[in-house]
Amino acid sequence: MPDVCLYFQVHQPNRLLPYDFFRIGENATHEDDALNASILDKVAEKCYLPANSMFQRLIEENHGRFRMALSISGTLIEQMQRFRPDVLESFKNLVASGGVELLAETYYHSLAFVHSNKEFDRQVDMHLQLLEDVFSVRPRVFRNTELIYNDAIAAKAETMGFDGVVAEGVARNLNGLSPNFLYRAPKTARIKTLLRNTRLSDDLSFRFSDPNWSEHPLTAEKFARWLAESDGDVVNLFMDYENIGEHQWEDTGIFDFWKAIPEAIDDAGLQWVTPSEGVDLYRSSHSYSSSSLTSWADAERDLSAWMGNVMQQEAIGKIHNLEQKILAVNDPELTHTWAKMQTSDHFYWMATKGGTDGSVHRYFTPYPSPYDAYIYFMNVLADLQIRLRRAREAKGLGS
Amino acid sequence: MNRLRVLKLGWEFPPLINGGLGVACLGLSQALAKSVDLTVLVPMSSPDADFGDFTLRGLNQVRMEEIETAEDRYRYQSFAQVRQIPVFLNPYEDGEPAPTSTPIQENSITFQERVFSKTSREQLEVFKLGELYGPNLGKKVVEFSKIAAKLALLEEFDIIHAHDWMTFLAGVEVKKATGKPLVLHVHALQYDRSGADDFGWIYEIEKYGMEQADCIIPVSRYTGEIIASHYGIPVAKIRPVHNGAEPVASFATRKKFPEKLVLFLGRLTSQKGPEFFLETAARVIAQYPDVRFVVAGTGDKLRPLIESGAFRGLGSHFHFTGFLDKEKVHDLLSMTDVYCMPSVSEPFGLSALEAAQFGIPAVISKQSGVAEVLKGALLADYWDVELMAKHICDLLTDSDLHATVAEQAKLDIAASTWDAAAAKVLKIYQEVSC
Repeated sequence: MPDVCLYFQVHQPNRLLPYDFFRIGENATHEDDALNASILDKVAEKCYLPANSMFQRLIEENHGRFRMALSISGTLIEQMQRFRPDVLESFKNLVASGGVELLAETYYHSLAFVHSNKEFDRQVDMHLQLLEDVFSVRPRVFRNTELIYNDAIAAKAETMGFDGVVAEGVARNLNGLSPNFLYRAPKTARIKTLLRNTRLSDDLSFRFSDPNWSEHPLTAEKFARWLAESDGDVVNLFMDYENIGEHQWEDTGIFDFWKAIPEAIDDAGLQWVTPSEGVDLYRSSHSYSSSSLTSWADAERDLSAWMGNVMQQEAIGKIHNLEQKILAVNDPELTHTWAKMQTSDHFYWMATKGGTDGSVHRYFTPYPSPYDAYIYFMNVLADLQIRLRRAREAKGLGS
Repeated sequence: MNRLRVLKLGWEFPPLINGGLGVACLGLSQALAKSVDLTVLVPMSSPDADFGDFTLRGLNQVRMEEIETAEDRYRYQSFAQVRQIPVFLNPYEDGEPAPTSTPIQENSITFQERVFSKTSREQLEVFKLGELYGPNLGKKVVEFSKIAAKLALLEEFDIIHAHDWMTFLAGVEVKKATGKPLVLHVHALQYDRSGADDFGWIYEIEKYGMEQADCIIPVSRYTGEIIASHYGIPVAKIRPVHNGAEPVASFATRKKFPEKLVLFLGRLTSQKGPEFFLETAARVIAQYPDVRFVVAGTGDKLRPLIESGAFRGLGSHFHFTGFLDKEKVHDLLSMTDVYCMPSVSEPFGLSALEAAQFGIPAVISKQSGVAEVLKGALLADYWDVELMAKHICDLLTDSDLHATVAEQAKLDIAASTWDAAAAKVLKIYQEVSC
C-alpha cells in the first residue's frame, strides 16, 4: 500500500484597481487595497483560520502521524503582514506544530521561469529568505507556480540545491505509468520528481461538492479505501488550500471530511509522508520526461490558462521586457511594484476560454470581463513605464 | 409674410437620445423656432421636457381618444411599402378577423388596408415601453406613421419636416393625408451604416420617402451625392445644409504623461472605421513612439479591436476608455493633440467640430461630410492608412502646421452655427410652400 502525501497551495494575488486611461501618469497606487483586504478577510474567515485550527488539532491528536505540506506565496505572506497579522500568526503556529513542511516557490507566484532565468532565481531566493525570516524554515522541495514544470525546471531546481520538485502527473508524459512513484528527470543526478495524482486530487478539490458526481457524497472511509487500493509508493494529493471552505463551502461537508481523514487513513493501514520524506524514503526508478511545459491548470494542463490568447501574450511579454531597465534603476519599491505585476493571476483573468475551465477563470476574476482585465493591466503598465522613465532620467540612465 | 407653421417628425430627442440625431434635431429646432411656429412629434418625450419656443409631443403622452377622432378620415397609403418590412408580415397579428371569414364582400386588399389603418390601444401602448429602437423597431416605425398622420389631421400647419428613415413613412403618410409639402432631412443613410452591398427594407423605405418628398436636406454634399447616385434621386431636389455646433466652453488640461495624444471618438462600428485607426496608429508608433492613441467609445468592434491591438503589440500605447459621458469627453478633448476620424462613410461628423472647438487639428477621411466645413483639416481616404499616419506624424512634429490647422478650424467653427443652418432651412421651406 502506498503512503499518502498531502500538499496545499496557499496564495492570494494583489488585484489591480480598475485603472482607467485618465490615471496613466498619476504614478499613484495601482492596487485595490480595499478589495485585497476584504478578500483576504473573507478567505481567512472561511478557510485559513478554521482550516489552520482544524489541522493543528489533527496534528496534535495524531501525535505526529498526520503530516502535510504547505506552499505559501510571498504575495500572500505580505498581505497577511499588512492586513491580517493574526492570520499569519495562525500559520506560524501551524508550522511550529512540527507536522507541516513548507515548500519553496517564486515569491510572486509568477511565470518567471518561462521568461527569465535571472528573475526566476531572484524570486526563488526572495521566497527562501522570507520563509527563513517568518517561519525559520529552509524548504528542501521546490514547487513552481501552478505546478508549471518541464525537464529544464527539474534540472534548474537541482542546481539550486533542492532534493525534490513537484509536478502534475500528465497522462501524455506518463505513457501508462503510475503517478504514484517518484521519478527522475532527464539530465538530473539526484533530484526526484513527485507527480500529482490528478484523479484522486481532483476528487477532493472539484468533484467532492458536486451532487451529480456518482460517488457523491464522498466519505473519508471510502476515499481511504481508494488510496489503499492504489498502486505505487506515494499517492500525491496536491490542491489549493482554499478548496477547504472557500471554493467549497463548509455546508458541503468539506471540513467534516478532512476531520475524519486521519483516522480513516490509520484504519486503512496507510501512512502519511511529507514531500521531503517521500524523497528520502523512495527511489526514483523510472524516468519521467516532459520536454514541453505542463501545469495543473485547465483541461489542457499547459500554459494556455495564462498565455493562451494574444492579450495574455502581450501583457506578460511586455511586463517581462522591462526587467533590465527596472533592475538597472535599483529602486526596491519600483522593482517590487513591477514584480507584483508578474503574478500569474493577472494573466489568468485575461483568459477567454469557454466551457468548464472558462467558468473557473470567471469565478476568480475581480473584473467584468477578460478584456477589462487586459485594459486595466495595460493602463497600469503604461503608468509603470512612465514611472520607470522618470526614475531613469533622474538617475541619468537615459529613457 | 405670416410665420410658417412646421410639423417636425423626429425620433430621438433630448434628453432621450442614443446618438447625434437627437442633438442635431434639438439644435436645429431651437434655431428654427425663432422664425417659425414649430411642433415636434416624436415617439417618446420626457414628461418634464419643456422647450418653451416650440412644442414637443411624444406618442407616449398621447391619449387614445384624440387618435379616435381622426380615425374615420384616414386610410393608410403606403401599404405596399409596409409589406416589405419583415417584422410586419402579418398585419392581423393583433387578433383582427381574417378577411375571408367576414361577411363583408369587398376587395380583400382594400379591406386589409382599412383594418390596417386603425390604431389599437395596444399599438399606442408600444410607445410607453421606454425603448426607441430594439427588435420591433419596424413595427414602431409603421405605428408611428399611422398615428402621426391622424394627429396631423387635427393640426394646422404648412410644412412637414421629417428626420431620418424612422420618420420617413410618417412624413409620406402625413403628406398624403394633408396634402402639405414634405421636406426630408437626412442625418444618416443605410448606405453609411451597412455599406452599398447590404441594402434591404430600410433602404427601400429611405428611397420611397425621398421619391415622395418635395425636397431633401442632407447634412453634407457628400451625403447628397450618395442620395443622387445610390438612391436615384434627382439632384434638383437635394439641398445640403451643414449642421451647426453648440458652442462649448473649451479648456486645456495638462496631461499626466509626457507623450502626445491622438484621439478617436465614436461608436466602435465598421462605419466609424476604428480598425483603420489601429492600422494608422501602428504606423505612427513605429516612427514616433512618444505618442498615445486613445479609443473612446464602445460597440461591437471593441473586443476584436482590443485583440488586434494586442496582436500588434500596441497595448501600452493604444488605450481604450469604453463609453464616456460628456464631461469625460471634454476632459479627454482638453488634453488631445490630434483628432482622427477615419470613418468609412460619415454624413457629417459633429465630433470633429467639437474637437475643433478645443483647438484640436483633425485628420479626417475624405468620406466624411464635416471635411466640407473644416477646410483646414488634413484629409485621406479612409483606407489610406499610410497617408493618415503621415498627416498625424506631421501634426505631431511640426508645431507650425499644428497651429495653422487649429487656427483654420477655429474660423470654420465660428461659421458653423445652428442659426446659419436654420436660415438655409427656412429658405427651403419658403420655396416648397409657395
